[in-house]
Amino acid sequence: MTRAWIPIVLLCAALLLAAALSLAVGPLPWSAVDRMVLELRALRLLAGVAAGASLAVAGVLMQGLFRNPLASPSVTGVTAGAGLGAMLTLMVVDGAAAAWLGWLPREFWLPFGGIAGALAALALLLALARRCGGERGGGELASVLLIGLMLSLLLSAIAGYVLALGANRFALGRALIAFSLGGLDGAATARVAMTLPLVGVGVVAAWAWGRPLDLLLSGETEAQALGVDVARVRRWTLVWTAVLSATAVVLGGGVPFVCLVVPNALRAWVGPAHRPLIVLAAIGGAAFLTLADVAARVLATGQGEIPLGVITALIGAPFFLWFFRRLARA
Amino acid sequence: MNSSTTVANALRLDEVHLSRGGRNVLHGVSLSAPAGALTVVIGPNGSGKSSLMLAAAGLLPVTRGAVLLGDAPVRALSHRERAQRVAYVPQRSDLTAALPVRAVVAMGRYAHGTSPSADAAAVTDALAAVDGLHLAARAFTTLSGGEAQRVLIARALATGAGTLLLDEPTSALDVGHRVALGALLRRLATAGRTIVVALHDLAEAQTLATQVVLLVDGRVLAAGAPDTVITEGPILAAYGVRLVPGGGFGYTAP
Repeated sequence: MTRAWIPIVLLCAALLLAAALSLAVGPLPWSAVDRMVLELRALRLLAGVAAGASLAVAGVLMQGLFRNPLASPSVTGVTAGAGLGAMLTLMVVDGAAAAWLGWLPREFWLPFGGIAGALAALALLLALARRCGGERGGGELASVLLIGLMLSLLLSAIAGYVLALGANRFALGRALIAFSLGGLDGAATARVAMTLPLVGVGVVAAWAWGRPLDLLLSGETEAQALGVDVARVRRWTLVWTAVLSATAVVLGGGVPFVCLVVPNALRAWVGPAHRPLIVLAAIGGAAFLTLADVAARVLATGQGEIPLGVITALIGAPFFLWFFRRLARA
Repeated sequence: MNSSTTVANALRLDEVHLSRGGRNVLHGVSLSAPAGALTVVIGPNGSGKSSLMLAAAGLLPVTRGAVLLGDAPVRALSHRERAQRVAYVPQRSDLTAALPVRAVVAMGRYAHGTSPSADAAAVTDALAAVDGLHLAARAFTTLSGGEAQRVLIARALATGAGTLLLDEPTSALDVGHRVALGALLRRLATAGRTIVVALHDLAEAQTLATQVVLLVDGRVLAAGAPDTVITEGPILAAYGVRLVPGGGFGYTAP
């Protein structure tokens, strides 16, 4: 019992350290930091904590559902859907629709766009999987995976086209590129306030589905024999993955590898049971992304900060290669 | 167990047809497994034993016919109710995650929603029943084939289900544990549970069963008391071998 608390205590300590660094580190020296700068940094910290927790927990859900440590929300197409939704929103709000969307501040539209994009991609995925479903009628897991990959590629291609279209307008082009590279520097109060409750609900919901996901580790037939409604678990796991991925995309843009690195590192440490893993992934993901954001600021050049997605990829890719080697040996 | 419980435990298959992957694997199979009986299903490879077990557990929809648990079609029960009433033990588990054995056996309590202490007691009893208490803290992935098989049986016992379906549960067990499992299954049957076991070993089937069902190509070739089914004619027809005459079990080419 005592040992079970050690990872929680260590990860909480890491998160506190990351939070302190996030508040202290920036282009201005600590002596010059006034209340306004501190509020901006606190907002950025909150965005990092929420996005990191969302990504890591979404990764745990996907890896549990597919029984594969290499699965991530991107294989379902919902991350690409959220990204496309957010980019289209940036384009529409910046363009001709700006006049009649003015009744709500711009910052409110981005979360709507991202979450709508993710849910639309999810609805399409479930509908197509049901049509291609096997003998259980709810859409077999292999169908979900293949259709999700196809959707992901399709939506990413469309997002690339949106990026090309936006390049004609300087401000919009910069916003779209910054969004696709990922970063927390654009975190605004409205965006963070709108997404934080969703992250909280999403993490609690993920924890609630942790037990049936444990049973699914035995495969669908055994889980069903033990009383799991497999189609229902699959559907809701995908829904909460979509919500968590969309909030992370809205807060931090495209940030790769968090959903792979954090769950796999923690699983190797504390084991595969989902409920403890989800709690630890939420804390660990928050700490990881906050530290990555600190690194993005520390390593800033004259051209500005290193994009957050580049930092997570620089950490994530070597980890992933190491993990893959370890998996192959096992 | 009282009489209403034993009626609820009874399993019946009426003219069951089953298709898997576009291939018909069961052709009008009927079987009655009353509570208190130990029914053994035998048959050559590919005869449909595992498909029959999956259909009986309500895990595969039949294309025609009915699978009844007590008076209710097994597929009409909710997922949880079905899991409380029927337990299924596969030949091998698809579990490849390093969960502790105790957590694996506790999966059997998922459908119950009882208190943690009641669940813990059921898990301990189930592990003790298969001589597996010493394995409780081990990771499932580190177990030998026979140990894993005993843990899967414990998981089924932890459900407390009145009907137990076991698909070749002794295939990886040593002789000591085979005998112990046979005794355990007989005790459970005597206590009013319905036990259906798919087996390859005819000697084991002979000693264990109160009734035997011989499947060939998805059809029942013979059914009844062991000494009426495991005899020269049906065994030659099903497996293409002759029983060694004069008692004992052995087979010769025809």
